[in-house]
Amino acid sequence: MAILSVENLSKNYGHIKALKGISFSVPKGSVFGILGPNGSGKTTMLGIVMSILKPSGGGYKLFDEEPRDEHRKMIGTLLETPNFYHYLSAVQNLKITAAIKGHGEEDIEQVLHTVDLYKRKDSPFSSYSLGMKQRLAIGAALLGGPDVLVFDEPTNGLDPVGIAEIRSLIKQLAQQGKTIIMASHLLDEVEKVCTHVAILKQGDLVASGNVDEIFVNDDMVELGAANSAKLKELINALPGLSRTKEEEGKLILYFPPGTANLESINQHCFNNGVVLNHIQVKRKSLESKFFELTNS
Amino acid sequence: MQQLLKVEWLKIKHYNAFKILGIFFIVGIFLSNYITLRIVGSVKDTQAGIMVGSYSPYNFDYVWHTTSWVTGCLLILPAMLMIILVTNEFTYKTNRQNIIDGWSRRQFIDVKITLAAVFALVTLLIAVITALIFGFASGSDFSFNKIEFLFYLLLKAFTYNMAAILFSVLIRRTGFAIGVFFIYLGAENLIGQLLDLWSVKLREVDKIDLGSMGSYFPMNAADGLMLFPENPVKSMTSKAFATEYHWLTLALALAYVALFIWWSRRKIIKSDL
Repeated sequence: MAILSVENLSKNYGHIKALKGISFSVPKGSVFGILGPNGSGKTTMLGIVMSILKPSGGGYKLFDEEPRDEHRKMIGTLLETPNFYHYLSAVQNLKITAAIKGHGEEDIEQVLHTVDLYKRKDSPFSSYSLGMKQRLAIGAALLGGPDVLVFDEPTNGLDPVGIAEIRSLIKQLAQQGKTIIMASHLLDEVEKVCTHVAILKQGDLVASGNVDEIFVNDDMVELGAANSAKLKELINALPGLSRTKEEEGKLILYFPPGTANLESINQHCFNNGVVLNHIQVKRKSLESKFFELTNS
Repeated sequence: MQQLLKVEWLKIKHYNAFKILGIFFIVGIFLSNYITLRIVGSVKDTQAGIMVGSYSPYNFDYVWHTTSWVTGCLLILPAMLMIILVTNEFTYKTNRQNIIDGWSRRQFIDVKITLAAVFALVTLLIAVITALIFGFASGSDFSFNKIEFLFYLLLKAFTYNMAAILFSVLIRRTGFAIGVFFIYLGAENLIGQLLDLWSVKLREVDKIDLGSMGSYFPMNAADGLMLFPENPVKSMTSKAFATEYHWLTLALALAYVALFIWWSRRKIIKSDL
């Protein structure tokens, strides 16, 4: 089952195209990262899914159904900023969230413990630091134990300890089988937590799929030769090679990031009497993929 | 709707602006009616007292009208509270969060409109209690004379609160919305008074009676229903007042409040939050 499927979604602000017809789907039980630099359309996309923005074109489905208000009550969402009544305390604010979602108030204290705000539960929201506000927003999303969570830049404003805590919380939630959709511009955040990823760039979907497929940590070199049996034999002698794999008659060599050298591979094979008819770097590494995204 | 109103109550019950404006409003109604009573009473002790005669604005013959009229002068307080409550949602972006958490846009605006109606009903209730206290204190016999002014007060209060919601959803910023609301009330009042003067001139000189033209504006229509309370001085100077076409004014007042509701809902339901 797809928790969320986005079909050809677009959004224009006047002449500016914030989303240019993107499609992807979020499988149940995945930790789905939406990665992209600032202004790439992550929040716009989630805003449409959460019904606070109107799409200019395309549509989306929640739980394989046409979206309804009841669907949002089943999803815990932190979108862009922590939005609370400034003059109310954490507990008073969470009571409002629980009432809107149609839950009881019984798990408010436990949620406040989870996000480490219990000691300040009766202080007004306006007195909180940025990190505390962020944690309260995560707490509000956890109310009622929803099976689906949407976190937009969840570690925004948190200190290193807070970041580590939230990441381990997200991993914990994922282990409980919850589906988590997480937008971030932090590469290592997505890499450390997510199972799936969609990469946005200026409103376009650059790539989407399994994290292992999208972000190949090792350099991959694809080789082909007429005498593939001999090729297989001799490449084992290549320095720095981490592993090999055979795929569709081609041989794929894995090297630690940034160490693959096509020239020396070619030289090595030629010196040992095998002439290559195919040599190609197969996928870009994690870092270069990230720079490709953010530098343009 | 009960569930939605419960959430609105959670939002306001610990809010200081709500408590302070609420107390000001309730105390203000009692106090301004009391001041009116004392002023009319003190006129009786002067030479002009002969004009007043046995008239007392808080006899049961007049009390419903007088209390409604005086209360009507304080409606700016609940309207201001309404502006603060609605614009707060935009300032805190809780309008977005309420939708994200599962309310529909319709529910979000409809519960605010219901709250405007609740505030109007509470205003009515306070006016009724005040009128009963002052009426019985006057020592006159109980009567329902001019009880219809309570309905006009209710309509006027709802109009003020709905105008407050409309200004809030269109402007979104608290200070700016309150400022524009005050300027609008002042401007409409001023233009309304000038048009009324013109109406009197047209009637007396040109013999064309277009009624009280000032009352054809949104807020003035609700005001216009709330005729200035009858008193001996007013009846002597009736020539200086424009003719009130009662049913026209009532129809306009109802139409304007319907427009405010339609426009506020449309704005919230159709646009990005």
